[in-house]
Amino acid sequence: MTKAVAIIGASAIPVGRHQTADEEAIQQLEHEIMTRLVVEAVRDAGVDKQDIQSLVFTLPRPYTRQKYFHTFLMGQLRLSCRGNVMEVMGNGMTAALAFDQACNDIMLGRSEVSLALGINMESAVSAAEHMMSSMRTTGDVDFHTSAGFTPIAWYAMDAMRYMHEYGATREHLAAVAVKNRHHASLNPLAQFRKPITMQDVLGQRPIVEPLGLYDVPPRGDGAACLVLASEDVARELGRPYVLVRGRGFCHDGTHQISDMPNDMIAFTSAQQASATAYEQAGIGPNDIDVAELYAPCTIVEVLVSEAVGLVQRGRGAQAALDGETRLGGRIPISTSGGLTSRGHPAYVTSLYNYVELADQLRGRAGERQVSNARFGLATGELGNYNAALIHVLEAKA
Amino acid sequence: MTLEMLAIDAERAYPPRISGFTQEFWTALGQGRWQTSCCKSCGKQTFPPKPVCPHCWSTDMGWADMGTGGILYSWTRIHAAPAVFAPEAPYACGIVDLDSGIRLACRLVERDDLPLKVGMPVEMLVLQYRDGPLFAARPVDGSKT
Repeated sequence: MTKAVAIIGASAIPVGRHQTADEEAIQQLEHEIMTRLVVEAVRDAGVDKQDIQSLVFTLPRPYTRQKYFHTFLMGQLRLSCRGNVMEVMGNGMTAALAFDQACNDIMLGRSEVSLALGINMESAVSAAEHMMSSMRTTGDVDFHTSAGFTPIAWYAMDAMRYMHEYGATREHLAAVAVKNRHHASLNPLAQFRKPITMQDVLGQRPIVEPLGLYDVPPRGDGAACLVLASEDVARELGRPYVLVRGRGFCHDGTHQISDMPNDMIAFTSAQQASATAYEQAGIGPNDIDVAELYAPCTIVEVLVSEAVGLVQRGRGAQAALDGETRLGGRIPISTSGGLTSRGHPAYVTSLYNYVELADQLRGRAGERQVSNARFGLATGELGNYNAALIHVLEAKA
Repeated sequence: MTLEMLAIDAERAYPPRISGFTQEFWTALGQGRWQTSCCKSCGKQTFPPKPVCPHCWSTDMGWADMGTGGILYSWTRIHAAPAVFAPEAPYACGIVDLDSGIRLACRLVERDDLPLKVGMPVEMLVLQYRDGPLFAARPVDGSKT
């Protein structure tokens, strides 16, 4: 019998520009941010320092000077553990994997309380320089990078295909950006909070056609910490918690592109991972009340929301335009503001998605609160959704 | 199959590495020959060329020609480029379904008279840079083929 896992605490800094340039006299140090967040999250959870027996960190960016950040932080906190201490890496899936591994430690009985945590600092490095590294993460570094492909170029091709197949327009996609900015305006953790209009989105400079500046994620820094516990511990604390009810994973056996023609905008790994997660949870997509999707661009939110069954195939962008996926709509998606407005510090992005669901499902989301939210869905991904890691969460009072 | 060679008076911005296995591909490409690895056990082609067949895991691989024509599955024009590609921006890239069955992604050479469009016919060609070749696709007039 494996144990059930609950989220009992969370903390995060607002996504934004935190990284200092090398020449600045006063520097932001990652471990100082992180130790404060650990203390805040553990206080929120109401557990003691000695209860924590496992910590799973997201890998810091190469720009973080302190190496072996995870064990360094153990020293900063004088935290001794008998379960597990590690850093995980899986590109965009990094933070989802940290959460998943922290769950595993509890399910395997290695710890009663685990932390999933990390920091991503990159904003002091220019986009053109940062892309020199990120261009090597998607596709084949010899056969694709040599042609000039960038990570979001693949999503742009998804968008072009989607517009071709379903007659969607740039306005349809822009509706996702406008909707998410509205959500972000209500979220103190969001990077961009000033409301925008459809015309604002359409008027931005092109980044990767057909996507413009507001269709793609901003660059930013972030850090977050989640406290997970066995449900026994969560129950004893006598406060609302969030139960991990289902988990699904699928890698489709390709990276970015299959040399055997397939439907590239079906996101089949997200379809299959969500089916597994729903089955474990004993629910269906219609039971989901709020979803935090790993969706770096407007088009990705559309495609993932279709793949996991929250909206009908070909209807994802129209659903945003019609207000179905907006707060107050049939199925609110990206109530945090999503990756385009809440922000996308990539290696910790999914931590922010769990933070949002922890707030929503504990009734602490303030003006963004989805009323009577019971079931939440979170996704993480690799490549062009060639792999997906999906969790179904449930509110427990 | 032979591809048209287009001379480019520049060096490649981010040249591919060449292995003992892939040099067959790149050397042939430099001469306009368009081929990829083909499994002698299950008969399937794979692209980019690989020394192990991803389908049946046979290591007995040979080489076979690929089709030179295809259909544009999707495309984008990249304006925000990594530092080494910035001087070329904006530039177009796309996904091509070759008539011979392989799907691949490559640089696109644009034509003023045939704007890029999903579903349009394209042909493969070699961009012959000063330091070596890259493969690319370019629109063709479907009514003339």
